[in-house]
Amino acid sequence: MKRATSYILPVALVALGVLFPLFFGPYPQTVARTIFKYMALALTWDMLFRSGQVSFGIAGFFGLGTYAAALLALKAGFSYPLAILAGALISGIFAYILGFLVLRLRGTYFSITTLALAEIFRVILRNWTSFSGGPEGIVLPQIIFNGDSRCLYWIGLAVLLVVVVVSQYFEKSKLHFSLISIRDNEVSAQTSGVNIFRTLLVVFTVTSFLQGLIGAVDVVSVGYAMPDSAFDSNYTLLPLAMALLGGQHSTWGPIIGSVLLGVASEYLKLKIPYGHLLVYGVIIILVILFMPEGLIGLFRKKKGAKRG
Amino acid sequence: MAKLTTKNLTKHFGGLVAVQNVSFSISSGEILGIIGPNGAGKTTFINLISGIYMPSSGTIEFEGVDISLMPACERAKIGIARTYQLIHPMEDLNLIENIMVGFLFAGNKSMKEARRLATELCESMGLRDLDREVSQLTMLEVKKMEIAHAMANTPKLLFLDEIMAGLNSDETKEMIALVKRLAKERDLAVGVVEHVMGVIRELTDRVIVLESGEIIAEGPYETVSKDKRVIEAYLGGTA
Ligand SMILES: Nc1ncnc2c1ncn2[C@@H]1O[C@H](COP(=O)(O)OP(=O)(O)O)[C@@H](O)[C@H]1O
Ligand SMILES: [Mg+2]
Repeated sequence: MKRATSYILPVALVALGVLFPLFFGPYPQTVARTIFKYMALALTWDMLFRSGQVSFGIAGFFGLGTYAAALLALKAGFSYPLAILAGALISGIFAYILGFLVLRLRGTYFSITTLALAEIFRVILRNWTSFSGGPEGIVLPQIIFNGDSRCLYWIGLAVLLVVVVVSQYFEKSKLHFSLISIRDNEVSAQTSGVNIFRTLLVVFTVTSFLQGLIGAVDVVSVGYAMPDSAFDSNYTLLPLAMALLGGQHSTWGPIIGSVLLGVASEYLKLKIPYGHLLVYGVIIILVILFMPEGLIGLFRKKKGAKRG
Repeated sequence: MAKLTTKNLTKHFGGLVAVQNVSFSISSGEILGIIGPNGAGKTTFINLISGIYMPSSGTIEFEGVDISLMPACERAKIGIARTYQLIHPMEDLNLIENIMVGFLFAGNKSMKEARRLATELCESMGLRDLDREVSQLTMLEVKKMEIAHAMANTPKLLFLDEIMAGLNSDETKEMIALVKRLAKERDLAVGVVEHVMGVIRELTDRVIVLESGEIIAEGPYETVSKDKRVIEAYLGGTA
């Protein structure tokens, strides 16, 4: 009985999400699509953060997927579906290889190195003009689905749902236990049989694959890629703020956080262009200081208090 | 036959020698006491056997196989387990979930199976209300959880690092009985580090004494406790 009711909300939300374009026009659809993109990124960031590792490299793997898909479509004549898949795979493969370097690092060292990786990708693509089109970037001959706003919305939603399903799989499988034990006590995790490096490598690869997927779908939906937009630090900063605001280490937290911040930023962007960046920064600081468990945490605490 | 044998096991930290030329062995069903003053190298020795540290030199053989350089997570899988002197459970997992970790990873069990086995194990050790947060446990329960956490590896060899510290005498008695029962039921080889000599006398079949990383005496508690070097080491340690 309890199991059945726990499905009602997610199913209703998915149904609402799917039907949304039948009732709302292109502008709300575009806003929703942007929110889905950040929501998906926020979830991928949180999935790795469940192990205690703070990545500042989201923009790097998002941008890798963007560029890989765009270049393969443009130069190798890949069809868009194939280019999307290849973009995600290339991002995942890069993460797998780089994982051998960065996943031995912990704390700030890990964070700074992932930030540097993203910056290295950006600089290479910016300067390797003959290959990547340089700072001006590349323009695709056409947008996927001929730019039909409903279809663009639905493909964005589909990517988000894939990410949500993976996040829930992380929460419900053994990974939930290995990630928490790595976060809480690495030494004791090892002596309980957890292979720390292998676990982190799997999670880093999967989340980077997903970030690449999000980037690849984004580029075929907008039709162009530039180094400064594909590797925009917003793609690192915003998902992080959203996950922290909503509540870390969960699927619901980043979802709630990205709806709130996404809607707020859409409004702020109109009111104070660029000023919205300041707002994200302030939110991150306030949440870390006063609400480390995020909005979900307020709810969790109530539940705990009742139980105890 | 010996479960575990070390030969000239040595560990340096920079210029400091924490464990030096330790050669010993332990058999199934045997409870071995490891004593020595603070800083003698007891915890480091356990860290070497469980794979937290790799030895500077010397070898470790488990069931006849050289495991000197095997990673800790692999040692957990072949049946080596230990508790920690500073107990630091997974705060984000509740009691039963903490115990499930070993079954899930060292034992490679499914979630359902791990929960069943963990429940069974906890109940056999007198742990109840298994969905409690670890912060709600009493001292005795925390100690039992630490042992259950290690037992979840389904070990053949178990090291306990000062597990009795902080318990009153009734609780200590209960724990001694528990460790004895576990060792007997499962034919475990158990290494016990303790400071309280009463516990060592009650619990162990044989004792080794470490001082400055070296074995200075070995034998039944009755003989070792009368050894001149041992008495000196202890008086020296407290003076
Ligand atoms: N990781 C480490 N780095 C440097 N020195 C250490 C480390 N671990 C232990 N030591 C040193 O090794 C010696 C033995 O310590 P330990 O094994 O903890 O002793 P015991 O458990 O017998 O009290 C001590 O001098 C301690 O300071
Ligand atoms: Mg010690």
